[in-house]
This record gives sequence, structure tokens and C-alpha cells, in this order.
Amino acid sequence: MTTPSIHFANDTWDEDDLVQRLCQTLDFAERALRQLADSGYTDEMEQEAAVRPEKLIAETGVLLLAASAVSSYAAIGPRILRVASLLAPHARSQRILRGICLEPAVAFDYATAHICLKRVGFYDSDFDAMLDLSAASNASDGRERAPHRMLEQEWLRQSWLYPEGLVRLRTTPTVTNSALNRTIDLFHGTREDVYCFTHALMYITDFNLYPRSLPRCRQILLAEAEGMLARCLDEQDYDLAAEVLLAWPLTGEDWSPAAAFAFRVIAKVEKAAGFLPAPTTRIARMKSLDKQTGSKYFLATAYHTIYAMGLLCAASLSPDRLPPQRIPKGTVRAGAIDTVLKHVDSETRRAHWQEEFDELEPMERESLADFVLGIGLHRAFGRRDFEAMQQLLAAGAALGITNTPIASQAAEIMSRVAQFANHLALDGPLGSQATSGFVPGISSNGSAREAVAAQAG
Amino acid sequence: MSNKAELHRQVVQKFLDTKAVDFAAAGKAIAELGPSVSLSEEPEDCFCWTMRTFFHSYRLPNPTGPLEDLGALRSATREL
Repeated sequence: MTTPSIHFANDTWDEDDLVQRLCQTLDFAERALRQLADSGYTDEMEQEAAVRPEKLIAETGVLLLAASAVSSYAAIGPRILRVASLLAPHARSQRILRGICLEPAVAFDYATAHICLKRVGFYDSDFDAMLDLSAASNASDGRERAPHRMLEQEWLRQSWLYPEGLVRLRTTPTVTNSALNRTIDLFHGTREDVYCFTHALMYITDFNLYPRSLPRCRQILLAEAEGMLARCLDEQDYDLAAEVLLAWPLTGEDWSPAAAFAFRVIAKVEKAAGFLPAPTTRIARMKSLDKQTGSKYFLATAYHTIYAMGLLCAASLSPDRLPPQRIPKGTVRAGAIDTVLKHVDSETRRAHWQEEFDELEPMERESLADFVLGIGLHRAFGRRDFEAMQQLLAAGAALGITNTPIASQAAEIMSRVAQFANHLALDGPLGSQATSGFVPGISSNGSAREAVAAQAG
Repeated sequence: MSNKAELHRQVVQKFLDTKAVDFAAAGKAIAELGPSVSLSEEPEDCFCWTMRTFFHSYRLPNPTGPLEDLGALRSATREL
């Protein structure tokens, strides 16, 4: 990861712009609640467009809580109150209460919005009494969950018990077992793997309200987050990109060149589309529906990505967390980016980040050499072009920009591929024998062992 | 994600177009055999379940197309 240099206050992102973006998200939330909170949305043609009202209600509660950290801004505070007033009857509806009553193992899931509302000052003791009964029942812990979901349960329970301020918990096995304490597969991992990371981080940092300690050094976490970001940004998966970007303002670390660049990209995309879009919003489908249903379709398919941007803006507005306006200068050898770009396949598709990249000043582009190298490695792996991966690794090692988790994992892949190729060569009459070679300067997972990059013949 | 998703959709469509899978026939067979097979096996050998699995049904999650043009999205959603 390229180390950012110190930058001055006047270099930071325009605060008013972030406030405006967060207000836009809260206004969208109001609209989504009005149209979807009663019965959600179902679509006979596109199953992925469907949204259950409980999900929207819960996530609106989380958005409000995150925004409450910056409610002192004149434009934000009243909007939080307005959306909270609109949310409360849905968060505490008979339907939700029935879920808490009959399904104690998921009671806190049902009560998410209620708990978030409680933390922003909207209490309801009758509802608490029902939740109290359910939480005390024998079956309340009756569902097996992934570690990040267990962290969510811990966070919800703490939020419910101590709405005025969470108790600072010690690092528990739940934290230790979560994605925050393990390195995810940056090449072959799924979107869900990345969500495990981003969600665990949200719960453990409590959206900057009452953060707990991280299980690992934040520089290591953020270096891995950059690997995830390279993939999300290149695939234009802005829902995930916005969540990954939260890692910087939520951990309080300076924005790295890659994070600052990614923020610029998604901010520009949001400006261009009028909202931060996801591929689930299909124009043809939207236009095929009558105006009212089309509006519901839009809200249902777009709300999650829009909320993710709102969370990011709220976290970035916390004290000393504003992203820089310009890409911080990194410690990269001059000319490195041109060498890397020669190896990055241009393809016929041009991602939005490439348009933004072209507008950067030469020094800003240089600072992104290791990040672009990661994108190139990811693209090459997507094509299973191991020769291109090898060339990128060799070029990166020569430039001294391979001290990143994504380069380390790429080197490990090459090592395994070489062994596999050797195995195939021994097994059958392959035309050529696999050879292996070293790419100096690449380390795997920061360990002392010498990293190997091998060439599959 | 978007490119892969589009590719997934094309793969599924291609297979559906071949008519290689007769869903109606598969459903009919399940309806005929399911109840008796479920009851006749040992408890852990469930029909459509675990251990000895007789019928697999896969659905690729979230097949969506690539991100739409940003300007087109802006004008399409502005009308709503």
C-alpha cells in the first residue's frame, strides 16, 4: 500500500458537498419508506429486484443511526427527525412485533430499526417489553450464524441495552473469528466475503459512535481493503466499493491514494447518474412498468447502494475524516505508472475509474501505481492469463510496488499454478515442461518466507 | 461482477434453449417418486435432501446485466 503524505486542511473534500449528498440519501430514504415500507416490492420478471419491507425498515434504521453521528449539521438533524418519525410506526408495527413474539432467535433482526431509533432518541417501552421477553427466552440464541452476523447480534444487543452509549467490549472470539481477523481471497473470494469484512467493520466501529478495538493492525486491514477496492472499482460494483471505502473513515486512518481516488470515482458516478447506481436497476424494465410501479422498482433496486453512499458520507463528515480532494502523494518511483499501464490490458470496456484516472495530474497518477497494478492482476486472473500475471508481478517487483496483499496473493497463485503445471507435465505428455522462477521483492502475507512467482509453461 | 453475471445469464439461456432439461418431466417424476422414496429410505437419506441426493436444482444467484449508462439512468429516474 502506498503511504500517503501529510496534506493540509484546505486540501480536503468540500464539507458542504458531503452534507448535500447525505441529505439526498435521507430524502431518498423518506421516499423509499413512503412507497415500500408497507409491503416492499416484488417483480414477476426480475427476482433480484424484490425487497422485503423488513429489510428496508432495518437498513433505514441503520442509516439514521450512522447519520446521527453528524446530526449537528443544520441540514442533517431535521432530516433525521423527519425520517425517524416516518420510520417509527413501521419499525414497531404489529407485523414486526409478531415476528419478535414468535421467532425469538431472530428477534434482534426484527428489532434492528427499533433499536436504532432508540439510540437516536425515539424510545418505546411497550415494544422493549416484548423484546425483553423474547431476548430472555430459551430459544433466543437458537440460530447458528456466521461470525459477522454474530457481531451484528452483539452490536444490536449492546445498542438495545445501552442506547446512550455502548460499553467498550473486549475482543471476543466472535471478533477473532470474523473476516476482520483473517485475510480474504482477493482473487477468487465472493462478494459475500467482502460483505463479511465491511459489515463486521461497521459493527465493531459502531459507525464512529462508540468504536471497539480492531483485532488486527489497521494498516494491515486497510491494505487488504485496497485489494477489495481494486476489484469492486474495476467491476463497477459501487455498492460494495462504497462499503469497502468506509474502512478509512471508520478506522480513522488517513485516506490512502487508492481510497481517495476511489472516493472521487464514486462521487463523480453519483453526480452523473443522480444517485449511486447498481446493475440491478434496469432502464428497460423500469420503462416497461407504469409510473407508480416503475418508481417502486427504482427505489427497490437502488436503495441499498444509495444508502451505502449515505453511510460513507456520514462517516466521512466525522471530525478529521474528510477525504482529500487531491490524491495524496505516495512514495513511488517516477515513471512507475506508465510501466504498469503498459501491462494493464485496456480491453474494449472502459471502466469509470479509467475516465477519472485520465483526468489526474501526473503526480497523482504515479501515486496509484500499486493500486493499478492490483487492478491489472485482477483482470489478468479473470482471464486466467497467468503469463500476464507473471509479467505484471515482475514489472511491479522491479518498481518496488508489490508490497501489497493483492500482489502477495498473486505470487502465491503463480507458485501454485507452477506446481500444478508440473503435476500435469508428470501425469501426461504435455508439450512443454513447466518452469518456475523467482520474482524478487514480493513477500507473501508479510511473512519472512521468500515469495515465489512461477511461470506456467 | 456485471460481466460475469451477463455471461451467467447467457449460459443459462443457452442451456434452456437446447430444451435439454425437460422441467415438466422432472417435476412429474419427482411428484411420482418423491413421497414413496422419501419414506422408504433410512431417515438420513432424504429425497431432495442430504446424503444420497436424487435431484439437484441449481439457480445462479443475482444474474444482472452490466451497469447502465449513467446519463440514461439520470434521465430515466428523473421522470419518476
